[in-house]
Amino acid sequence: MIEPTRRRHLARWVAAVALLAAGALVAGLAAAQPSTITEVATPLLGHRAPAVSGTTLADRHFDLSSLRGRWVVVNFFASWCPPCREEQPGLVTFAYQHRRSDVALVGVVFDDTASRARSFLAQTGATWPVVTDPGGQIALDFGVRGPPETFLISPRGVVTAHLDGPVTSAGLDDWLAVVRRGGT
Amino acid sequence: MSAHSPRWWSGWPRWSVRRSSWSARTSAWFVLAVVLAAALAIGASRPNASSTAAQRAAAIDSDLRCPSCEGISVADSSAPAAVAIRRAVAARVSEGQSTAQIESFLEGRYGLGILLRPPASGLSAAVWVVPLAAVTVGVLGLVFFFWRRRRVDPVPVTVEDRVLVEDAMTSARAQAGSRAQAGSRPQEIP
Amino acid sequence: MNAALGHTGVLLALGASIVGAGVLAYGLVRRRPATIRSGRVYAWLALAGAVGATVAMERALVTHDFSIVFVAANNSRSTPLLYTITGMWSALSGSILLWSLILTGYIAAMVWRFRRSSDDPLVGWATLVTYLIAAFFFGLMAGPADPFRTVAGPVPANGIGPNVLLQDNALVAFHPPLLYLGFVGFSVPFAFAIASLVTGRVGELRPAAGTRTAPKGPVSRGRAGEAEGAITWQAATRRWTLFAWGFLTVGIVLGAWWSYQVLGWGGFWAWDPVENASFLPWLCATAYLHSAMVQERRGLLRVWNLSLIVSTFSLTILGTFLTRSGVLTSVHAFSESDIGPALLGFFAAVVVVGVGLIAWRGDRLRSSGGIDSPASREGAFLLNNLLFVAFAFIVLVGTVFPLLYESLRGQQVTVGSPYFNSMTLPIALALLLLMAIGPALPWRKTNAATMSERLLVPAACAVGIVVACVAGGVRGLGPLSAFGLGSFAAAANVRQLVLSSAGSRRRGAGAWRGLVGRANGGMVVHIGVVVIAVAMAAAVSYGHRSEVTLRPGAQATVDGHRIAFEGLARVRTPSRSATEALVLVDGHGPLRPAVSQFGAGTDPVGTPAIDSGALDDVYLTVDSLPSSAGGPVGIGVIVQPLVMWLWVGGTILVLGAVLAAVPGRRRRPTDPVSAPVSPTTSASVSAAAGRTDEGRLCDPADELVGTRPR
Repeated sequence: MIEPTRRRHLARWVAAVALLAAGALVAGLAAAQPSTITEVATPLLGHRAPAVSGTTLADRHFDLSSLRGRWVVVNFFASWCPPCREEQPGLVTFAYQHRRSDVALVGVVFDDTASRARSFLAQTGATWPVVTDPGGQIALDFGVRGPPETFLISPRGVVTAHLDGPVTSAGLDDWLAVVRRGGT
Repeated sequence: MSAHSPRWWSGWPRWSVRRSSWSARTSAWFVLAVVLAAALAIGASRPNASSTAAQRAAAIDSDLRCPSCEGISVADSSAPAAVAIRRAVAARVSEGQSTAQIESFLEGRYGLGILLRPPASGLSAAVWVVPLAAVTVGVLGLVFFFWRRRRVDPVPVTVEDRVLVEDAMTSARAQAGSRAQAGSRPQEIP
Repeated sequence: MNAALGHTGVLLALGASIVGAGVLAYGLVRRRPATIRSGRVYAWLALAGAVGATVAMERALVTHDFSIVFVAANNSRSTPLLYTITGMWSALSGSILLWSLILTGYIAAMVWRFRRSSDDPLVGWATLVTYLIAAFFFGLMAGPADPFRTVAGPVPANGIGPNVLLQDNALVAFHPPLLYLGFVGFSVPFAFAIASLVTGRVGELRPAAGTRTAPKGPVSRGRAGEAEGAITWQAATRRWTLFAWGFLTVGIVLGAWWSYQVLGWGGFWAWDPVENASFLPWLCATAYLHSAMVQERRGLLRVWNLSLIVSTFSLTILGTFLTRSGVLTSVHAFSESDIGPALLGFFAAVVVVGVGLIAWRGDRLRSSGGIDSPASREGAFLLNNLLFVAFAFIVLVGTVFPLLYESLRGQQVTVGSPYFNSMTLPIALALLLLMAIGPALPWRKTNAATMSERLLVPAACAVGIVVACVAGGVRGLGPLSAFGLGSFAAAANVRQLVLSSAGSRRRGAGAWRGLVGRANGGMVVHIGVVVIAVAMAAAVSYGHRSEVTLRPGAQATVDGHRIAFEGLARVRTPSRSATEALVLVDGHGPLRPAVSQFGAGTDPVGTPAIDSGALDDVYLTVDSLPSSAGGPVGIGVIVQPLVMWLWVGGTILVLGAVLAAVPGRRRRPTDPVSAPVSPTTSASVSAAAGRTDEGRLCDPADELVGTRPR
């Protein structure tokens, strides 16, 4: 039999360990961000951007390489995704503010039909080229898990940032400022 | 149940394992063990589930997470993102790429999160190691606990002890009997 | 008006909980029985407030009062009445309201049940704890998660309607309330556990002076100082724990059934974080139900049991946090995250208070006895607890690991079904084995002869079934082990039931008595678990999915089933418009897998159709619709064996829980506790066996008939 004082010490140790574990759990969970805009450390960062080519919703051919030399914001969205709906006004503002600058905005339809994407964008007033992705190949190449996801591509075609979650115009401007200073 | 009862089933379950001798029971266990081992040996040999390309692709698909679904594998999902991945996997399997190559290709695009089974290296190994360590600690604790108790020698029972117990039992039975006669009911827990 | 009524109800309940807690605290600290007794009334006030708020919410929903944000977001004019009513718990703040309603219901029931002991400090502290829990949840509704928040600006003409996945199946009316009846039910044993620690009493409940059940004359004391005829709080709350466990089990099984019927992927358990959140308290509660028997029979493991109850309750709070804080996305996820920090803080408080109290006061509750031998019922229960706690720990680690990894590394990692399945399979198999051996183990000590005598026939059945399976062509070591161990457990439990019925019939109590009571109900529960385990092993190991592309009128054979596609049909009802594929399976049907749209302006979802049979289920989904009329349709076909038996097993489980709640024969003080120990020759074994046949020293049926603690 373990004597009472030894038992009490054992109990204190077990309690301390339990409290420590619970504390670590709580701290970890408190630090976990609920879904807001976060930068994701994907493997594509610093690598050449995958090809984005296909037909736009306006039935024109589009290729990302035609935008080489400009900063490109590639935004994956879907009509069934509520945060995409939230970020649309911000994107419209952003596109308007940068309409004569070296920043281009391109949308890619994720897991949706062209007709629904068209009606979605008609409601929100998007003016930038939007590429359809019928086989999901572009999404696969970029590693898009779920919309909305936005990629920042440098003028040399290198993926500079991967933002997960709905973006805002101010947020995109901040990101651009940061990566421009970094000079890629 | 009398021994001369004519119906064959009236002896069950009193035909009894109890009445058989120790050696009969031991040999019965031995026979059971042998039969079981043989059956399992035959039954464990499953035809190789990874023979065809389609089966290999399906096996890889079931270890990949569908990126736009919640917790379902690429094999289970009908979302277009999953369909695209299935196509890519099938193409690569038919090219002869290994599972590791295909998985690293997809990791290069989606990150570690595309795998349903976290890799057993780096920080993510903790998810495998921590539970196993905790269980081992628990088992060792139990073993240690019982080992220490075993060292206490049992106290031999004396005749006086037996008399004491018999007296207590008799008086307790008498008390139970008298209370039953007095008609008081034990308190019911609703 | 609805908002005003709702706010009034919430504030009334909040006020009653806080004032009640204050009154009880004063009475307990100052040791004034009259004050403690007066604390009861606040439970009824809180219940009134909760009922008022619920009525207000349902009224707002049914009358489509879109001035309330919650109604505008979760209801629309075209939503059918059933889904309007269930809309109350289809989103965050409404579900907190449901939780609070059930909590106040339980508190009122507890106060009423223990009204005769209401000035006992143990009951007083327990009521105080429940008031504090209620104050927290009503505080949430008064602040961050206000269900009656009104729309700022013009009132919308129509609402958005509930989530489309929640409109497909009437189960939405049952699954959440039953689940909450389970979760919330653990608050009462938790409250008593805290009370027990604070008062330092194992807890015989002293009846209030002057009431009918107050003891007259000197009270004889039994083991551990408990008064003769008095109830330990643990025994009194045993049925509460059993009910809560039963409701939680039903909730989980219904959730799996719903997932299978609605979500379209053909599976029933995805180790989804929210599924895990409900499974974790279930595992701890099951461990507690078993080790509580050791405490009742032998007075051991008191501190361990207290830890289990505190863990169970903490896990219900943690589960609520995980599902409602938005840190995890899921089909259950509610997107608001305002209450996340509050729930996390409450969880931390519960853990700190619980662990702190156990470390500080647990010593006082220690029992004097010990476990004599690992090869005994106590040892089996200890091993059972270790396995369940290990199971829970694995599920917990797997669920929170992605969150912790992401906060540390910024990268996402997934812990999915393959992880959980490979880590928990050995534990599940070990538990099956324990289910077979445990009920046959005597208390205190046993030997090989006793065990071999009791388990030979079940083992023979098991080996017979394995041989039959292998002869029938079943292959695969995992499923065969599951089938073998499952039949071993089933046969052993059936044996116990048969012996118990025979024993009670011999005693003149009627054979049915051998099927009710805690021990026998437990055997039925085990049989239910075995059925589920076998069905799950079969469905997961031998399930097969494929896709066929068929033109109208064509047919194909998939896994031995004939699938005939008749054609497409368009369906339009006020709540649903769908394109259905009419499919005949083996000539019967037609089954209607479809792509459906619920309400206007929502996204279409795939709705499956299932042909259930005793041997297997054929699960049909529409994978692709034709681009032109009369074109081929892609139909997904998933054939899984024995799926129906999952639900049958679930029913048996719940039936066993109901049987276990029936009061059994009260155990007499002279009833033996253990089997005869260490006979040295076979002659003495049969002599002992002869004695047991007359039910004198150790009738095996004695340990099985429902017994009551001393």
